Amino acid sequence: MIKTDDLGIKFKMEKRRRSGALAFLLERSRKQRRPNGEFWALRHVSLTVERGETVGIIGSNGSGKSTLLRVVAGVYPPDEGKVSIDGEVSTLFSLGTGFNAELSGRDNIYLDGIMIGLTKNQIDGIIDDIIGFTELGDFIDMPVRTYSSGMRARLGFAIAIRADKDIVLIDEIMGAGDVAFRQKAGVEMNRIIGEKTVLLVSHSMDTIAQFANKVIWLNKGVMAAMGEPKEVIEQYLAASKVKKAPTIIE
Amino acid sequence: MWYIVKFQMKAENKNKVLGFLWSFLNPLLLLITYIVLMQIIFRRGGPQFPILLFIGLLSWTWFASSLIRSVSSITSKMGLVKSVRFPLAILPISGIIIGFFDWLFGFAILVPMLFIYEASFTVNILWLPVLLLIEFIGTIGACLIFAVLGTYLADLDNIIRFLIRIAFYLSPILYSVADTVPERLTTLYMILNPFAGLLESYKNVLVLGMPPNEYALVGAAVCVVLFVVGLWYFSRNEYRLVKAI
Repeated sequence: MIKTDDLGIKFKMEKRRRSGALAFLLERSRKQRRPNGEFWALRHVSLTVERGETVGIIGSNGSGKSTLLRVVAGVYPPDEGKVSIDGEVSTLFSLGTGFNAELSGRDNIYLDGIMIGLTKNQIDGIIDDIIGFTELGDFIDMPVRTYSSGMRARLGFAIAIRADKDIVLIDEIMGAGDVAFRQKAGVEMNRIIGEKTVLLVSHSMDTIAQFANKVIWLNKGVMAAMGEPKEVIEQYLAASKVKKAPTIIE
Repeated sequence: MWYIVKFQMKAENKNKVLGFLWSFLNPLLLLITYIVLMQIIFRRGGPQFPILLFIGLLSWTWFASSLIRSVSSITSKMGLVKSVRFPLAILPISGIIIGFFDWLFGFAILVPMLFIYEASFTVNILWLPVLLLIEFIGTIGACLIFAVLGTYLADLDNIIRFLIRIAFYLSPILYSVADTVPERLTTLYMILNPFAGLLESYKNVLVLGMPPNEYALVGAAVCVVLFVVGLWYFSRNEYRLVKAI
């Protein structure tokens, strides 16, 4: 179960983030240092996701969807409010950004598994399954930097779904693969739905409508709506002034 | 922790055709450069100069390379840091352990050299693990601090390389304190550079068969303080770091 109560995540907003020490000194001496603004990536978010639910998260770019997943993954501690997570969280690898590009796919599976708290023996037990699912073939022993984005997505999805954790976070991984992979991923999703708690971020309303039993619409860090997938998607599309839901040609 | 070190080493070594061989070649080539520079060009140093130099270089390189690694240790793993929750201190500390493996490779070259240059083996060699532990603790402290600063300040990498270069010449690596620093200034020098005592001690216990330099105590004290401050500073900033990258 995932429960947030008045959750807020705040970022410092500087004109130039991560500027250098040299810039710091120069600007200070010239009294040019700009006041640091604050920016709430998420605010007043109160939600409850029961065990076994599949919740879709929608919203325009920068609305806080990925931030919310990172909070659930434990990466960002709340600046405001409370978060309680009951259960172990699988990896959040949105399009495989967490991979070490120099290591092979196989090594990345191990590294990843260890990071989310699996033991080497546990990974040994599931690695063939994961590799089989990715259909990467010989590429599994090549450095990840040689992978296409679709291949990374396959690897990320396969690990997230086969790690057998209670809570599965999926951030746009579904959209990147080819048709065959999407179908395969769909089958896999249906298998875990009801069994695991799933948070699914996607811009594809079809994907959301297909899998989610509840949808959260985030708008500028605030929860604009939560409820029945159909209703929330309609509200969101109406607000985004999209006349018709974009359809994916399969 | 062990796996992260292992995988990071794998990632770093895979780029190199010679792989592990470089871990031997790097210190050796560096050593040869300085021997040519000091003994042939400047005509400095006694008969045991190469071995004393090598010991200094090894210990120094461990510290310096760890520090340089630590500056970018967190930003370079941005994807991972933003995806999974784990104690971020693992990142700079794994860099130190990788540096220690390089030290071990260097030590493998050092051992035959100790025989060639007729080092005096005494019971004082037992101090070596103690010295290494002190250096390890101090390096952890320094690296934790610089891992935080390096995440906030993008140009710290340039600054740290410059500072390390200066510190290198200020430390008794290319020279020994007894030969170079005037006697009346020795105390001042050893206190201003708390690591000088440690570097001298490495030479004492390995080559000269003497106990550690008394000023190593200053170095040890500074290392313990660094360690405590580093841990405190890092844990205070750990969560802010995730948002800063």
